[in-house]
Amino acid sequence: MSDADSNPDADANADADANDAAESGDRDYLRVADISKWYGDEQVLDDVSFEMDRGDVTVLIGPSGSGKSTMLRCVNRLAEAQEGEIFLDGEEVTAPDVDVDELRREVGMVFQDFNLFAHLTALDNVALGPRRVLDLSEAEADERAHAQLERVGLADQTDSYPAELSGGQKQRVGIARALAMEPKLMLFDEPTSALDPELIGEVLEVMHDLVADGMTMLVVTHEMSFARAVADEIVFLDEGRVVERGPPEQLFDNPEKERTARFLDRIASHD
Amino acid sequence: MADSTRPANVSDPGEAIPSAGRLLFVAAGVVFWGWLLATWVNRWLGGPVVPVGEPFVAPGTVESALAALPLLSAYATDLAFVTRISPEIARGIWLTVVITVVSLAVGFFIAVPLAVARVYGRLTAYVSLVYTELLRGTPLLAQLFVLHFGLNMGQYVPVALSDVFARNVVWVAILGFVLNGAAYQAEYIRGAIESVEEGQLTAGRAIGLSKVETIYYVVLPQGLRYAIPSWTNEFVYLIKYSSLAAFITVPELYYRAFEIASDTFRYPMIFAVTGLAYLCLVLTATELMARVEDLVAIPGVGGDRER
Repeated sequence: MSDADSNPDADANADADANDAAESGDRDYLRVADISKWYGDEQVLDDVSFEMDRGDVTVLIGPSGSGKSTMLRCVNRLAEAQEGEIFLDGEEVTAPDVDVDELRREVGMVFQDFNLFAHLTALDNVALGPRRVLDLSEAEADERAHAQLERVGLADQTDSYPAELSGGQKQRVGIARALAMEPKLMLFDEPTSALDPELIGEVLEVMHDLVADGMTMLVVTHEMSFARAVADEIVFLDEGRVVERGPPEQLFDNPEKERTARFLDRIASHD
Repeated sequence: MADSTRPANVSDPGEAIPSAGRLLFVAAGVVFWGWLLATWVNRWLGGPVVPVGEPFVAPGTVESALAALPLLSAYATDLAFVTRISPEIARGIWLTVVITVVSLAVGFFIAVPLAVARVYGRLTAYVSLVYTELLRGTPLLAQLFVLHFGLNMGQYVPVALSDVFARNVVWVAILGFVLNGAAYQAEYIRGAIESVEEGQLTAGRAIGLSKVETIYYVVLPQGLRYAIPSWTNEFVYLIKYSSLAAFITVPELYYRAFEIASDTFRYPMIFAVTGLAYLCLVLTATELMARVEDLVAIPGVGGDRER
């Protein structure tokens, strides 16, 4: 994002953003503004907007195919929005001259399928980013990786390969890997959807700890009890559109829109 | 390779008592390579054990010793002949081994970028495709002829390299096998890279590695492991294809065998022995690569993975 700073054309924008940030303090730490995206003719995101403060937890819910994951991926530019803007900590993420690799250092991501590096031990999975992206020394990177694995309760599995870990352990390594980059924001893309039911708890526990530590988290999940417990705001997406958003107690207990109520009913009947 | 039962791998002698067949295999390997190395060293040192070009045991001694044995007496003359030509065979094997190993190693460093370009490139993917199809689609012998007779590449061999072999044509052959082998290796490696899950690249990009860094640190370490079994094919093929170098007068194994045959007219015997020598080289190569595969095996990557 330093590219944007050094670009004189972007200065006017950057100043305006800085003013915005100064006025609002931690307000609008992440600001998603009118994001639209198409795959071919099919519109997958339609004017999606929401904001998060620093330390907030926002949970995106919605039926499959509603664009939740795509929305998440637009934030770290794994997917490109065609319209709209996203700002993180006052800087425009969606600007064409943003260095995406630099952006991704600051935005951690946890995947549904874990996507651990299959040829690396748990420790090396976590240490790879610090080593190769942050250019830390081998010792510093290992130390940081150790600390993060300990944080997710896997200090005793540092030398295990992904194939030797349970699904829950894999996902905790995945979280540690993202945390090791010391991100400003963590994105969770259905982190428990690929897990056996008895393994979901250990991952949610780690996520609860992160919330307690004040991590800013944008989470796509179907774990409604988790959402209710930790979310500052719930955003309900359907067919690429924000149908309704609000604090969990309001959205879950008194949804304004009929579509929200129907979706929640359907989810509840499966619990 | 019958490697589906990876945990009981053959490279760990502590795990199981080796079978009789296995012992015979290893013994044959020790005899073959012992004979080769001894013959080569004797030649390099100017013949301290026996004069250069002479076998370690005189053919006459072999013949009279075997003639005394009831079962082997019928083959005494043949085996004496084999003994007599063995130093020339060993001399030919030396060049066959050197040409194969050097061509394979250098070709590998061309093949990896070709494969990566093919999978991840845009314009470079087409360049790689054209190169691969051109080199795989035309006869290797024709390629060697173009390099040697057409372009006379021997004249461009740098001074530093021209002292390595007696004749520059060896370098021309290596060049030919490098260019051709790289195309085949690239295909094997491309297939392996494509079998690395898409999510691996996404995960690398998500922690801020560039695409090239992700390919280097994440995709290749996995893809190259997957490539070992099929890549071994190229090793095996090249050992045998290297005989085509004889047609541009490189004195490797096939060339030596043909020379002896046209001098003695004992074609069947000489090519049986030559074939056996190639078989020993090929079995060595597959054994070597099986061990390499075991050595670099990682749980969940290659080996026990379905392909």
